[in-house]
Amino acid sequence: MTIHGKRTAKSHDDVLEDIAQSLDIPESRFIEAQERYNSLGEWLDREDSSLSRFKPEISPQGSFLLGTVIRPLTEADEYDVDLVCLLQGTLADFTQKTLKESVGREVKLYAKARNMTTGPKEGRRCWTLHYADGAQFHMDVLPAIPDAQRYRKVMAVYGHTDLAKSDVLSGQAIAITDNTLPQYAQQTDDWPLSNPMGYAAWFKSRMAAQLMERKKAFAARQTIQASVDDIPDYKVKTPLQRAIQLLKRHRDIMFAEEGRHKPISIIITTLAAHSYNEEQTISTALQSILRGMDQYIEIRDGVAWIPNPVNPEENFADKWAEEPKKRKNFFAWLEQARHDFAAYLRASRFDAMPLVLKEALGSRLVDRSLASVLPAAASPVAPAVVKAASDPADRRTDAAVREIERAGPQSKPWKK
Amino acid sequence: MPVARLTLDEVKAAIAFDQPGLVATTDGASITVTGTFHVAESLDAISPEGPLAAFDLRIELSFKFPHDEPKVFETGGRIPRTPERHINGGGDCCVTVWEDWLARTNDATFAAYLTGPLREYFLGQHVFELTGEWPFDERPHGENGLYEAYAEVLGIRNRKKEVLYHLRLLSKDWPRGHWPCPCGSGKKLRHCHREEMMALHGKLPPPLARRMLRRLKSYQRP
Repeated sequence: MTIHGKRTAKSHDDVLEDIAQSLDIPESRFIEAQERYNSLGEWLDREDSSLSRFKPEISPQGSFLLGTVIRPLTEADEYDVDLVCLLQGTLADFTQKTLKESVGREVKLYAKARNMTTGPKEGRRCWTLHYADGAQFHMDVLPAIPDAQRYRKVMAVYGHTDLAKSDVLSGQAIAITDNTLPQYAQQTDDWPLSNPMGYAAWFKSRMAAQLMERKKAFAARQTIQASVDDIPDYKVKTPLQRAIQLLKRHRDIMFAEEGRHKPISIIITTLAAHSYNEEQTISTALQSILRGMDQYIEIRDGVAWIPNPVNPEENFADKWAEEPKKRKNFFAWLEQARHDFAAYLRASRFDAMPLVLKEALGSRLVDRSLASVLPAAASPVAPAVVKAASDPADRRTDAAVREIERAGPQSKPWKK
Repeated sequence: MPVARLTLDEVKAAIAFDQPGLVATTDGASITVTGTFHVAESLDAISPEGPLAAFDLRIELSFKFPHDEPKVFETGGRIPRTPERHINGGGDCCVTVWEDWLARTNDATFAAYLTGPLREYFLGQHVFELTGEWPFDERPHGENGLYEAYAEVLGIRNRKKEVLYHLRLLSKDWPRGHWPCPCGSGKKLRHCHREEMMALHGKLPPPLARRMLRRLKSYQRP
């Protein structure tokens, strides 16, 4: 086997980086998804589109936008690509129903024009477009119109003045539709609000320094002089994004059999981004996140509350109250993730990944990764526990002792 | 005053990430922590070469922690059961002078115990295995060691009489102003080192002082 551009791992981070890379959506598939949603966007904006006067635009939201996409568990599963279809209209131009249906009509025409065998399926808020040609993804298209002004008003009413004032965090808020609402078919000005761009901006702000670092490093690697500003976010991954990918993978494997109430990605992502503190490595990022993520779960009037950082009145854990299993699953997952990652990070050498973590991330995927970054490791199954440092009186022990002496030892055993 | 009780959740939280080889259980009467304790090279950095050492152990915890000192047993048969290796007569590890730690630390939680005295103790055992020497200072045997530890906590000379008198003063819920000042000036405390004693009183609460006093007195009985 030839290994191109892969170096031998020397730390836990090298190993985790490689595993996380193998979770990435392949670039070819990413570009294919981009091409397809761009093509849908062009269709909606074509000259004889019934929507063209609203200048429709398609843009990604969710994990595609955040750079935390991971490949699905099996080839049979699909990536879901979340998209916003934004029309430059106002609430006076539509009811929720007419907006949803006008977008739906055009998406249907698109599917037909592309000879797709199945048309879009209507969901509560979205149109879902399935590709039957082995593309391995489907697109959730969310019809929306800009509504930042009302969003900011609502934030101000709830006392979130900083949010209300921030262009970045609330300037791109949108009104969306929901066909389960009683006023769905009526001309009203109380449509549901959403703010995926604001969330993405918040997420990015949690890793701004590392994002800049990675882009600088990326620019330095280019043969052609590139400016940091020219490098798109998706070209690099911060330790926060890598850690989230690994945590989501752990979640997917843990709930592979019974996934109905598994912890949702937005909860993992939000709590991870809160507890991330611009750590420079995946291992220390995972450590901070796993140690601290549950501290960001609030209790409001006895209800577990994971606020949307750009709309604190929205609770990402709102389903926990009606379905206690979701809450239970979240904490069971956190406990397991702490244990499995710590067994590697805090109790093992970097080249001796314990079986528990290997299985928790998928043995096949991990083995392939280990084989490529640890070519010398003939026996990939390592003891979970290191019994003693092999190197006697080693410098590591000396360093640990000196560190304690500097801080002043807390323990001074006595003889008896 | 309500006494905070140690909870199983607190113990579990302390070991959840940092000691993945340990498991905490309770039978309702106490909490037991068993498994493999890893001596980390650093509390926050991830060491490529893994932990420095690992010891199998059992920790018996009272719900009244930190009032009650935990009992720690090394269960892997790695440490000889002798006083020279800081193992008590009952087979439990002599981790630290408990009151000494309580008085010095500003974080007497179970988590801090794991990363403080317990890690230091087992790091010490590891170094002894490698070199035959203890990395940190040792205290003298028994009673003298106690006086030395307590004198350090009080920040005074290690004279038995002075240590005892300080502890007697501090045992009162409020230091008695009409008692002679411990500095030996012959003045009343309220006219002499009052400020200093008040500061010490804040650092070393009366229940702790009383306990230290009791422990010293246990040596004075025939």
